[in-house]
Amino acid sequence: MAGAGRTDTRLVESETTETDAVAGVAVGLSAVLFALAVAALFERVSLTGSLFGVPTVTLLGGLLTALGVAVIAFGVGSRFGYVETNPDPSAGLIAGFGAAVPWVLIGGSVASQTLGLGVGVGAVAGVATGAVAFAASVLPREDLGSTVPLGALLGVTGLVFLTGVIGPTWVWELGWAQQAAVTAEFLIPVSTLFSALYGGWASAKAYGGFGARGRHMGAYVLVYVNALSIVAFLFILVAFVVVQGIPGLLNGTEFGFGTGPTTSVFGVSVALPVSVPFLMNGVALFNDFQGVLPAIVGTVWLVVGAVVLAVPLGVGAALFLTEYADRGRFTQVVEVATNGLWSTPSIVFGLFGFAFLIPRFGNGKSLLSGMITLGFMLLPLVVITSREAMLSVPDEYRDASAALGVSKWQTIRSVVLPAALPGVVTGVILGVGRIAGETAPILLTMAGGTFVPGSQTADVIGGFQFTSAPPFVANPELLQATSALPYQLYALITAGVGASSNVGNADEFRWATALVLLVVVLSFYAIGIATRYYFRRRLKHT
Amino acid sequence: MSENTTTTPQTQTAQTDADPSPTTTTGETVEQTRDEWTDYEFRGEAKMAVEDLDVHYGDDHALKGVSMEIPEESVTALIGPSGCGKSTYLRCLNRMNDRVSSARIDGSVKLDGREIYQDGVNLVELRKRVGMVFQSPNPFPKTIRENIAYGPKKHGDLDTGLLARLLNRSDADERDDLVERCLRDAALWDEVSDRLDDNALGLSGGQQQRLCIARCLSVDPEVILMDEPASALDPIATAKIEDLIDDLSEEYTVVIVTHNMQQAARISDQTAVFLTGGELVEYGDTDQVFENPHSERVEDYITGKFG
Repeated sequence: MAGAGRTDTRLVESETTETDAVAGVAVGLSAVLFALAVAALFERVSLTGSLFGVPTVTLLGGLLTALGVAVIAFGVGSRFGYVETNPDPSAGLIAGFGAAVPWVLIGGSVASQTLGLGVGVGAVAGVATGAVAFAASVLPREDLGSTVPLGALLGVTGLVFLTGVIGPTWVWELGWAQQAAVTAEFLIPVSTLFSALYGGWASAKAYGGFGARGRHMGAYVLVYVNALSIVAFLFILVAFVVVQGIPGLLNGTEFGFGTGPTTSVFGVSVALPVSVPFLMNGVALFNDFQGVLPAIVGTVWLVVGAVVLAVPLGVGAALFLTEYADRGRFTQVVEVATNGLWSTPSIVFGLFGFAFLIPRFGNGKSLLSGMITLGFMLLPLVVITSREAMLSVPDEYRDASAALGVSKWQTIRSVVLPAALPGVVTGVILGVGRIAGETAPILLTMAGGTFVPGSQTADVIGGFQFTSAPPFVANPELLQATSALPYQLYALITAGVGASSNVGNADEFRWATALVLLVVVLSFYAIGIATRYYFRRRLKHT
Repeated sequence: MSENTTTTPQTQTAQTDADPSPTTTTGETVEQTRDEWTDYEFRGEAKMAVEDLDVHYGDDHALKGVSMEIPEESVTALIGPSGCGKSTYLRCLNRMNDRVSSARIDGSVKLDGREIYQDGVNLVELRKRVGMVFQSPNPFPKTIRENIAYGPKKHGDLDTGLLARLLNRSDADERDDLVERCLRDAALWDEVSDRLDDNALGLSGGQQQRLCIARCLSVDPEVILMDEPASALDPIATAKIEDLIDDLSEEYTVVIVTHNMQQAARISDQTAVFLTGGELVEYGDTDQVFENPHSERVEDYITGKFG
């Protein structure tokens, strides 16, 4: 608190440049608080423990209070002309509503719960508090309006944490049938997070000297934080899966010549110099370490099969729709139908495969049925994105080609398609991301069992058999039931406690499966992005 | 087409008779177009002959009974205000309007005395003989070399594909000769000879337009249609294009649409003036049209009172 007081005096006496520096520090403080809140939410920072020798909750409370005081000091300092700013007459309605919402919550909760006045009084008190906050934001000049209600919010939140009203062990039983409760582990990080956002926004406005420039700075901070948190969430998710999955993945890994299984590449037998049983084994009674090889191979073949089926069909359909069909009722119907197909739930596709494809392909679940089902799922997205890509090819190219006397099909093949390819590939990337993770259709059309033995690994290439009688080519591997990673994961989770007797540490096994699934999907992404990059380069920089 | 002028169907160029003069919505009297104003006598052969050409886009009557003959190996400029149908007219000469589904074309267009609006016309051959350069430069997103070789390759005149290379039948040398010749003809060779394998989109606007002209030359046309080829270019690039058109007219028949009347006066041998409503009002020797036009409306347009 003393620190905040010092901030206050220095702010009042200082020159503009120093004010800027202090406001910048306030923005930085908000960022630190935001990061702390996110870390606490994901339990990377313990609320019961301490940071830098200070109990975590106390630290959060202190920082919030300091930020709140600083924010108010900015506003007041600006209002009384100690700081040179350029404020608008009012902070505006949006800022008003932004300030009102948290105050409604605080007013309502305090009246109904802390003071025990009941729901009705709580609602009235909440609305009243919110109205006061709204008025305090909208009515005064912008420098006061956008700092005082928010600074007070930060101060109240901080003081609640500082004084231990809400401590690390605080719980609010909601008394619902589901036994829901708001715990400190949830409330403290979340309220810190939102307070930090508000504080960051207000101090960014102050940093910009309010007015148009201040609004710009405020929006800039919010947008920046937003973008950063998206990246951070993605990173956290991937890191979480990796950390949990690595032990199971590396279980029993050995390096050195002759340790790995023997595989044949183009007829030459090679003993791999590394052994990762999780990736190289199936599940068998006498395996030292169990693995998910059949599921990995199954996923790869599924995606390859679906892409091989859907891309030519989809691109062809898109070509017809954009280049040949007259734009009218028919193309509209097709467009609506493809959009509808893309939003059709995957289990419906699965049921279709189950009822239509399985009886026609050997009456059993099979890799081929799975490929075709997923191909159908992929098809609408390929059509939609290819169509978009072809429509965005400038008509000038078509005109130029036609004016040279080049026929329509040749124009399409050598001008339209190359220009549309990056867009088509983007569609395929998106679609593959979806189908590679599909569980329901696989469950119904191709999944063999929960614990798939290595012998069920689909050897599609080696499975081709050529005969002298029609149909000349056969591939029993395609008609065999196998597994895929998402289904494997689902099966492992639903297998329950009994799973451990089959695969050792079931939890490790599941996380490792999830990690492998993630890596396989991301590899498909990488291949897709590399392909797109290649085609783009050919268009732009040859 | 006509935002402020309503002309009755009787005002067709070919049939000037004693109809009462239709009036514009503003009450002004529109003078009748006369046959003798568009009856341009020139020496030499007519490369293209257009007779009673009518074009409708849906209900919109874009071109009304236009008849004119285009002399060989010369530059014919088409001028007129926006929306007067001159681009439509140009696009009829190689049947590019066929690509607009709402367009309906009546009348006759002859190339070397052969009707091009009849069944059985080979559009590939027609467009090879009557090439086109568009308003905004539109090179393909390919290399400069590929841009030039595109047409001949697609027509099967050049084969540099994998199979041809394997069979040692590749026309790579012929292709390179063609690329050089077309680029030289389009006055671009000196600027790009060292980067033929760079993407054409990396060229400047003026260079791109000259590349488009070179691409047009690659299929060895007889007539070159240009739709405001310099309107998107700066004065220096425009001057280069104009010089180029001047050179081209020694070998090719050039028809050029332009908004720039000085440009039309500088480069063309004869000028056709289209005015609002899709009529050809006056056609004649460029000097005569600009210095001593028969039609008052044309004079107004040229002197900037109307348009």
